[in-house]
Amino acid sequence: MKFDFSEKDITILKVVSQIAGGFALIVALTMIFSLVQLKTINPLDNPVLLSIKDQYDKDPGDASKAAMVRAMDLMARKAYFSSRWQVETGSYLLLGGAIIFILCQRLISDNEKRKPAFPGTKAEPVNIQKNSRRYLLVAATVISLTAISASFILRTTLPDPSGRSGFSSKANNNEKESAPKPDKSNYPFFRGQDSRGIAGGSGYPTEWDGISGKNIAWKTEVPQQGKSSPVIWDDKIFITGASGLNCEVYCIDKKTGALLWTGTASGIAGEPAELPKMDQEAGLSVSTVATNGTEICAVFANGNIICFNMEGKQKWAKNIGVPESNYGYSSSLIIYENILIVQYDSRTKNSVIGFDIETGEQKWETIRQGRPVWSSPVLGYFDGKAQVIINGNPNVVSYDALTGNELWSVECMTGDVAPSVAVNSKMVFAVTDYAKLAAIKPGTGASIAWEDNAYTPDVSSPVATDDYLFISTGNGDVACYNAEKGDTIWTHYFQDQFYASPVIADDLIYLIDRSGVMHIIEADSKFKLVAESPLGERVDCTPAFSDKKIYLRGKKYLYCISDN
Amino acid sequence: MVDRLFQKREFQIRMKKTLPYIIFVLLLCWHAVLFAQDRFPRPEFESGYVYATNQMPLQRAPGWEYFDVAVLLGALTLTTWLALKKRSRQGLIWMSVFSLAYFGFYREGCICAVGSVQNVALALFNDGYTIPLSALLFFMIPLLFALAYGRVFCAGVCPLGAIQELTGFQPVKLPKKIEAVLASVPFIYLALAVLFASTDSQFIICRYDPFIGIFRLDAPYTMIIFGILLLLAGIFVNRPYCRYLCPYGVLLNVFSRFAGKHLTITPAECTNCRLCEEVCPYDAIIPSDSELNREEPAKPRKRFILYFLLIPVFAVTGAAIFYTLAPSLAGVNSNVSLARAIRSEKESGIESVSKAVIAFKESGKTEAQLFAEEATITDRFRKSSPWAGVFLGISLGIGMLSLTIRSKRIEYLPDQGKCYSCGRCFKYCPIKVQ
Repeated sequence: MKFDFSEKDITILKVVSQIAGGFALIVALTMIFSLVQLKTINPLDNPVLLSIKDQYDKDPGDASKAAMVRAMDLMARKAYFSSRWQVETGSYLLLGGAIIFILCQRLISDNEKRKPAFPGTKAEPVNIQKNSRRYLLVAATVISLTAISASFILRTTLPDPSGRSGFSSKANNNEKESAPKPDKSNYPFFRGQDSRGIAGGSGYPTEWDGISGKNIAWKTEVPQQGKSSPVIWDDKIFITGASGLNCEVYCIDKKTGALLWTGTASGIAGEPAELPKMDQEAGLSVSTVATNGTEICAVFANGNIICFNMEGKQKWAKNIGVPESNYGYSSSLIIYENILIVQYDSRTKNSVIGFDIETGEQKWETIRQGRPVWSSPVLGYFDGKAQVIINGNPNVVSYDALTGNELWSVECMTGDVAPSVAVNSKMVFAVTDYAKLAAIKPGTGASIAWEDNAYTPDVSSPVATDDYLFISTGNGDVACYNAEKGDTIWTHYFQDQFYASPVIADDLIYLIDRSGVMHIIEADSKFKLVAESPLGERVDCTPAFSDKKIYLRGKKYLYCISDN
Repeated sequence: MVDRLFQKREFQIRMKKTLPYIIFVLLLCWHAVLFAQDRFPRPEFESGYVYATNQMPLQRAPGWEYFDVAVLLGALTLTTWLALKKRSRQGLIWMSVFSLAYFGFYREGCICAVGSVQNVALALFNDGYTIPLSALLFFMIPLLFALAYGRVFCAGVCPLGAIQELTGFQPVKLPKKIEAVLASVPFIYLALAVLFASTDSQFIICRYDPFIGIFRLDAPYTMIIFGILLLLAGIFVNRPYCRYLCPYGVLLNVFSRFAGKHLTITPAECTNCRLCEEVCPYDAIIPSDSELNREEPAKPRKRFILYFLLIPVFAVTGAAIFYTLAPSLAGVNSNVSLARAIRSEKESGIESVSKAVIAFKESGKTEAQLFAEEATITDRFRKSSPWAGVFLGISLGIGMLSLTIRSKRIEYLPDQGKCYSCGRCFKYCPIKVQ
């Protein structure tokens, strides 16, 4: 195309073209900068916003902080979308600039009376070839040298596949933590080691009769009643009881059943003068104690926490406030390293608290969102780290066992949540009645692997191996699931309800129903009932296993069951 | 009256020449809305809500695929006629507009002969992949036309060439040294593209196609910016993608050298007027070579033998270089890069941070499986990469060898390998045939 432009017009076109070209270039550079910003900055990672969020988590009732969090969140999102708008608008501007530039150049080009410049002296073909060869060799050399350099530079940045690099040895020094093997003697928490429902050791009795005394090594009346389960360290059994406001911790000789000492857990500053509102059947002594072999710690439904040494001498005690909830307080304690971990559930506040077990000093507290629950914390080991996992409502949440920092969270529960989670080496299983069973893949970006709602317990906690998940419900149903895929492998209906949690010991599942009959089943893919042994007393507590003996708390008595 | 008729006629001619460019600008404007990507991150629902699975665009019905092949055949035939017989630069511009509209904007740059190289490589080295017939035809037909008539595919059928042809009008010649370095890039690009495709790692030609983001409504902004900047650069350094990147152009270059009937600069006998000598922006005109100043025969013969013997040396050197590069090149494979990311994180003792690693951990696949795959793929790269080096070494050797051969030419001829048959040189030839 050809227009007859004057020289002045051409000058104007050239200026316009240069402006448009420069403009397009500036816009392109700005867009690249904005894009880098967009890709690298997460709007919600603003440190100020995170700091205010932390403050709000510690004091959720503060309306001004809530308003600040909302305002900051909105501001961060607005800033992000402003950047987006800039990039979007920039693409229009870039295109516009490019079109103007192209058009002006086209017009200038067509208006120029381009005549082929008459070439000067014709180049000698020999010289052309010679130069071309030279350039080609230089190019090949440059490219080859670059490639050789790159091959060495890139190799040094590759991780060592043999795992023998300096980094690797550093990593080996910081070995990832894995779940300790359950001890054959010590049974330190509710549901044993890590509160997982797996007992160590082997050769546990399968047949006994509490009425005839068959295989009952001894039977001791617990001074005051309670729903807490026994825990064991060396030759000592620890259990709690309460009557009215009077709370006590008992140490019982594992061999004879003799009461070694009683620790009083009442009269602690801050404890309420009246019994908190709770289920009439529950009482103050529902939570199971925890021990690490040096200290023994107990918590009661009036908010009293107390710590003794193994000889019954009080080390420290405090009241952390009455947990207010419909049924009372039932969360048991666990200990990780020197931290006593307390799951606190109340209408006023839900949290998980870490106390220095030596001094009782509060090391950290992490507020938990949602409604109060009656489950207990469980220690799981994922991503090489010890994690405190709580079956909450609505979230199943994992916390760093040392710092209390939240690691991951999955929203999946509703209603009254009482069962604790089950864990194996890969998964976490959360369940509650009238809701569902959810198998969770833990870790960053935790998600639900599979779900089911056919068998859901209301009190009893599930137990899992790497292959199977076992559930005993409040209706008397027992179900075995494929832990990885969620298929129901077998089910069996027993006549009575299960409140106590099942424990796997020596590849057998011990399930005791509320009437006191222990059902012993093979922990395998086929249902096989090994034995059914009655205690002769109603049972809601979870048994403890130690050195080939089983310790069971009935409504009134504590039993030691032994084949010998 | 005569004046009015004359003005009317001139206006018609002007419009006829301007219209293709108006259509080109309209096509660009129509596709200006390039916002369908880089959205705000998806919300991470904790309620168990499962996002619908991403659905790939539905495959074109087989009938329509063959229709595309028919369009390709028709366009190539018409372009060949326009370039060789009609000698119409304006006609070739119109073909560029059509191809840009059909293969570029309508078919969104896919299926594309340039990318089909990878389908062929994948099919050749992987039993599990069967190349669609339409892809094979898109690969073969332009090459057959090149073998018969030169690079007519580049002249007006390739949408990537068309978009550059329509924007390149202020040609500037690059210094020969730079040209020599840049001209070797397509060979390397082709070697890598075939290597990555044959190892089932990546289709890099498609992934880094600078104009695909303009043809479609979806591409990373960085690629769109790269495409637009390449177009702007192409105003002066014409067809930068074709000359310094296009891997398919390497094959067309080779096939076109043997073209039975190629476009000519002059429609009749060349008078050696030298008017066309400087007009080709692609430096694709070979001047006549007289008998004068010829070297002594022994010298070029020795040179020829030397470079001939150097071909295996170049090939072995290329193989050795690529063998050492193999572990790094294997990182292009997503499984290898994932395995390395996991190992790096383990070595440095940090938690998983990248989305790929997090997604892998959720997949249920074990690290041992992934590391085993990594070893297999790396081993495959070790075996395949040297062949890419051999190809580059032989290409260099043949290139050098060809620069030792001189043949007597009495006229100005297009360099059949480099010539895009764009027809820019037509108007500079003073010889016209009615």
